[in-house]
Amino acid sequence: MTSSEDVLLQVSNVRYQKKTGTLYVMNERLAWMMDNRDTVSVSHRYADIKLQKISPEGKSKIQLQVVLHDSAASTFQFTNVGGQAEQIRERDSVKDLLMQLLPKFKRKVNKELEEKNKLLTDNPTLLQLYKDLVISKVITSEEFWAQHAPKYVKENVGNKQPIGVSGAFLADIKPQTDGCNGLKYKLTSDIIESIFKTYPAVRRKHMEYVPHKMSESEFWTKFFQSHYFHRDRIHSGNKDIFTECAKIDDQDMDKEIDSGIKDPLVDINSFGDTTFSEGFGVGSDTSANSHTGNIVHQNMIKRFNQHSFMVLKACQHSITENGTAENGQKDAHTSSTVAKDDGDDEDVTVIKKRRIQEKLTYDDLESSSSNVAACLNLSRVDRYLHGPITDTNSSTDVPAEKVSSSVMRELIRLMESPLGSSHRNPAALITPALAINAVGELSPGGSLMKGFQHEASASMTPADIETDLKTLYLSVCELLRHFWACFPPTTPQLEEKATTMHETLHRFHAAKLKPFEDRVIRECSPLSHNITSHLNQLLNSAYRKFAIWQQRKMQHFR
Amino acid sequence: MRLDIEGLIVHFPYEYIYPEQYSYMVELKRAIDAKGHCLLEMPSGTGKTVSLLALIVAYMRQYPSELCKLVYCSRTVPEIEKVLEELRRLLQYYEEQFKEKIPITGVVLSSRKNLCIHKDVRQEKDGKIVDGRCHNLTASHVRERHLTDDSVPVCTYFEDFEDYGNESYLEPGVYTLDDLKSYGAKKGWCPYFIARHAVSYANIVVYSYHYLLDPKIAEIVSKDIPKNSVVVFDEAHNIDNVCIDSMSVKITKRIIERASANLLDLAKTIRHMKEVGPRRLTEEYQRMVDGLRETQQARETDMVLANPVLPDQILQEAIPGNIRDAEHFVGFLRRFVEYLKIRLRVQFVVQESPAGFLKDIMQKVCIDRKPLRFAAERLASLLKTLEIADQTDFSALVVVSHLATLVSTYTKGFIIIVEPFEDKTPNIPNPILHFRCLDASIAVKPIFDRFQTVVITSGTLSPLDMYPKILDFQPKVMTSFSMTLARPCLLPMIVSKGNDQVAISSKFESREDQSVVRNYGQLLVEIVKIVPDGVVCFFTSYLYLESVVAAWYDQGIVTTLQRHKLLFIETQDPAETSLALLNYIKACERGRGAILLSVARGKVSEGVDFDHHLGRAVVMIGIPYVYTQSRILKARLEYLRDTFQIRENDFLTFDAMRHAAQCVGRAIRGKTDYGIMIFADKRFSSEDKRSKLPRWIQEYLTDNLVNLSTEESIQCAKRWLKQMAQPFTREDQLGISLLTLEQLQKEGVENIQQKARQKIK
Repeated sequence: MTSSEDVLLQVSNVRYQKKTGTLYVMNERLAWMMDNRDTVSVSHRYADIKLQKISPEGKSKIQLQVVLHDSAASTFQFTNVGGQAEQIRERDSVKDLLMQLLPKFKRKVNKELEEKNKLLTDNPTLLQLYKDLVISKVITSEEFWAQHAPKYVKENVGNKQPIGVSGAFLADIKPQTDGCNGLKYKLTSDIIESIFKTYPAVRRKHMEYVPHKMSESEFWTKFFQSHYFHRDRIHSGNKDIFTECAKIDDQDMDKEIDSGIKDPLVDINSFGDTTFSEGFGVGSDTSANSHTGNIVHQNMIKRFNQHSFMVLKACQHSITENGTAENGQKDAHTSSTVAKDDGDDEDVTVIKKRRIQEKLTYDDLESSSSNVAACLNLSRVDRYLHGPITDTNSSTDVPAEKVSSSVMRELIRLMESPLGSSHRNPAALITPALAINAVGELSPGGSLMKGFQHEASASMTPADIETDLKTLYLSVCELLRHFWACFPPTTPQLEEKATTMHETLHRFHAAKLKPFEDRVIRECSPLSHNITSHLNQLLNSAYRKFAIWQQRKMQHFR
Repeated sequence: MRLDIEGLIVHFPYEYIYPEQYSYMVELKRAIDAKGHCLLEMPSGTGKTVSLLALIVAYMRQYPSELCKLVYCSRTVPEIEKVLEELRRLLQYYEEQFKEKIPITGVVLSSRKNLCIHKDVRQEKDGKIVDGRCHNLTASHVRERHLTDDSVPVCTYFEDFEDYGNESYLEPGVYTLDDLKSYGAKKGWCPYFIARHAVSYANIVVYSYHYLLDPKIAEIVSKDIPKNSVVVFDEAHNIDNVCIDSMSVKITKRIIERASANLLDLAKTIRHMKEVGPRRLTEEYQRMVDGLRETQQARETDMVLANPVLPDQILQEAIPGNIRDAEHFVGFLRRFVEYLKIRLRVQFVVQESPAGFLKDIMQKVCIDRKPLRFAAERLASLLKTLEIADQTDFSALVVVSHLATLVSTYTKGFIIIVEPFEDKTPNIPNPILHFRCLDASIAVKPIFDRFQTVVITSGTLSPLDMYPKILDFQPKVMTSFSMTLARPCLLPMIVSKGNDQVAISSKFESREDQSVVRNYGQLLVEIVKIVPDGVVCFFTSYLYLESVVAAWYDQGIVTTLQRHKLLFIETQDPAETSLALLNYIKACERGRGAILLSVARGKVSEGVDFDHHLGRAVVMIGIPYVYTQSRILKARLEYLRDTFQIRENDFLTFDAMRHAAQCVGRAIRGKTDYGIMIFADKRFSSEDKRSKLPRWIQEYLTDNLVNLSTEESIQCAKRWLKQMAQPFTREDQLGISLLTLEQLQKEGVENIQQKARQKIK
């Protein structure tokens, strides 16, 4: 014994790694010492133990296993000479004692902290932001989690894929004999979820019956007894609560059949192009055929098909539900309409044509030059053409724009039309003179290039400064986003937030931007302020806005 | 691409070309030059249709006097629509090349069901009802009555077409079903009759086999097609069945009952007409006396079904005296129906020739052969005289009259079999009188005689020499093309035994054997485990499918299958099957993977393609022999043996193998596609079966793949799938299975031909 701890329980004849020894349950640790030695060979602090496991009943070896947080494990076998009953008694006494002791030492791992930690490690951008803003004390940790992180948190949740339904989930519920010629079905919550997802009729039944009319277990017992589960049985008119479910399923299927098959390539009914009455030709009419064969088998086949339809549908549901959660109302709406393909005649013909053309394309015969031109969709074309131009400059830009407005119009027109079309009719291209003019304007020094930094600066920036600059931009943008989100400040809360954001910006300016600028000047003087000018512009415009707002507010008060 | 095919400039609407497409065009051109018929087998998915259209359009442009029309027959409506879209693409290419519209009109003709735009009539789902309602609105006497009485409804689309559209022609271009409908809706004309009218002047007509092969319809629809036309039968591997189908009639008890009822109706109507105004009947009688078959040019709408007898058999004589009078004719038919009723009242199977039947009918009810021959014609005339527009009510009587005409016209190549009950249910009386055509050449002969070039083509026509025999014609060109491939994109395998070395086979003795069924299941389970996306499995019959699935359920194989893929099964209900197919495609597209159990000779095996991910593996369980115990089949086999010297076994194997090839061929649609084809039956290994597969499959079925156990086949498939999963670019294909214009010119015609062809001597 190395410490003065109390030994709470001592069990001899315990084997560990094929060596017999004694197990000690002490105040703060679990220890094992080999017989005839005086050093403890195994010693686990309770705080390190994650959980304990025992061997199942009926096993010949009576064992106890402790699993540590680092997922290492030690297994102890109880080998009391007094026989199995004695061994079990000893094992259980250890187990019970451990059960009392372990929770006391359970490290109160802050779950929240862990989550946050995970989030940060998963999102490098967020981590960077955290480093820049929180560690440099620009904003407090709480503020950070409350304001800047939710976006990421939500994204994480939204990205979670719903679990699909396995095609064979019903078969996976394997009955086991319970020893006296009965059957035992093991149902996990996953399986129940699968059943509900796939068979909405059962879910409804479940809601209807449980717990008002029968207990949960009764319900499932009935389910497993029903023909609904055993697909090789025909449902007769017995008083089975699931008879109705089968009927509902059949109706659903009929409805689907009635609604018609949109894809002309699989609509077998419309393949034939002859309308002969009975008696012509050799084809056996369907009415004669239907009573051949085994009805049980046919029924079973129908159930198999039905099952697959419903599994597929269950997945479909979860996809659309997911869509709603993720993309918000609007997106989900559009996506669902696309998926639904409305029953209009117009639509059907379009689908039909598309399907047929799909089938006809020989990719390898087509010439390769027919590249798929992505359509550039600009909401504000002028922005795209100008690049970032400060407000102050815009007034001087006006005449220049006027000069080249014809070029602009032409360019805009081209941008708006998909690139592919311009390929085809070269006549629609702008004239050479105009083109040269436009190129001139777009070259450095041209009227459309104001506000652009010189190419040269990019090549002169050292790599580390560049990455720093990037992170700076990231942080600034995040802060500015919140700042600008406060305007117009219509509520007192927003006003307050605007003020704090303004302060935060100032803090950031002082804590991050200034040192960076100093460093730039020190390390690569030629760049000097050039490199941060845009950042400063951004911040300055924010300050200006704030100042104006404050001024207005003061006036208002007066 | 601008090709020079033995002096003919062909514009091919693609940048590249497959070598077999080039050779196909060469062979086709030779056949047209020689004004002879040809038989061309080209692997599915190698652009058969586009080559065909490109060559024929070029030919028509260059030698308009030699070749003025293309009649393209295909089997299913989607196939027909595909042809039209291909044609549209070709013509667009022409336009781009020549910067002007070229004067070629391509038009589709389909049943009223697919073309009707009348707001009430088109709602009907059943084609027969659509036809019937259309007749009710468009028959000439209905329209006459409408002139005096506004309350008689007519179809405005048809009226406007009659008034204005009849004289106008469609602008050059391609008209699919939807195009016709929107054109009709725009103009206010009936699309169906626009199409009917267009058949006479369009350069390219696309429709289903029946419009040309079935004399009942061909006489109405395709009468005016000139001799210097090319007729193409695409997907023609089953053409003999269509021929037989079009000449056969089946009389059940129901038909007899309804025919009797029809006769009563007719008699009543005649009496009524006699009282009201016997003028029409006397006029009709006069016509009969004059012996003019049809003095009056029949309005298009009045003809529902023409005479079932082929054009060259059309009787030019006067109608015999004893059926000229309407009442006499009704009495005559009544006697005939009564006679059929007696014939159906049998306890055992009767089989006799048409001659025996005629002799018997003479003895029993004193009906002569001559008036019988006019029965169909006379009934059509009577129905017209009585102003019965909707003849669907009288369909039973029409069937009977057709039987009368057919049985008295053809004495050879037909058989009459009366079965008192079905073989499976000997206790339920269900008498059927089959009047069955045994000789496919009867229906197709006039086509071969009438048109200068008939092209019979399909992906699976092997063995080629069978078709000239059973269709009785002399092809000028008969070629099977193989598939040039840069990578072995098909993997045919014959699995003959399970892992336990038990031979697997669907032959009658062993098909119920549990170990065979289990081995089939195991094979499928293994396949499903390794093959991505879609797997299709074909059984020999519905019954077999059902019993095997039931056995698999008990053995737990179904569960294992479901664990890997979603399971869909073809049923005998076409609507349900369509839904299953739709979901099968959905499951494949989701990446979930699915397996479809289907039936050879079923609708799915004939009309649905499983290209790319929809069918990465096809398993053919058993050899799809036709049900050999049927008497009709036996009679046909006997006839084939006696007339064409085709051995029974040869024909049966040929028939089974063409269906097997059809099934497995569904998986490959193009050279970028790839698929496994498994023939799971020991009997496939024998040489006589293997050699009947199409060349392009046979070539890849090497000797090491013809006798595998389940495990061996899985090993092969695994290796092969890994290989196929590698990226496949155009560069890999170029020069081998894909040619540019320069390569084509450099290689020389002979070389390419060598590559893509196996001439059968």
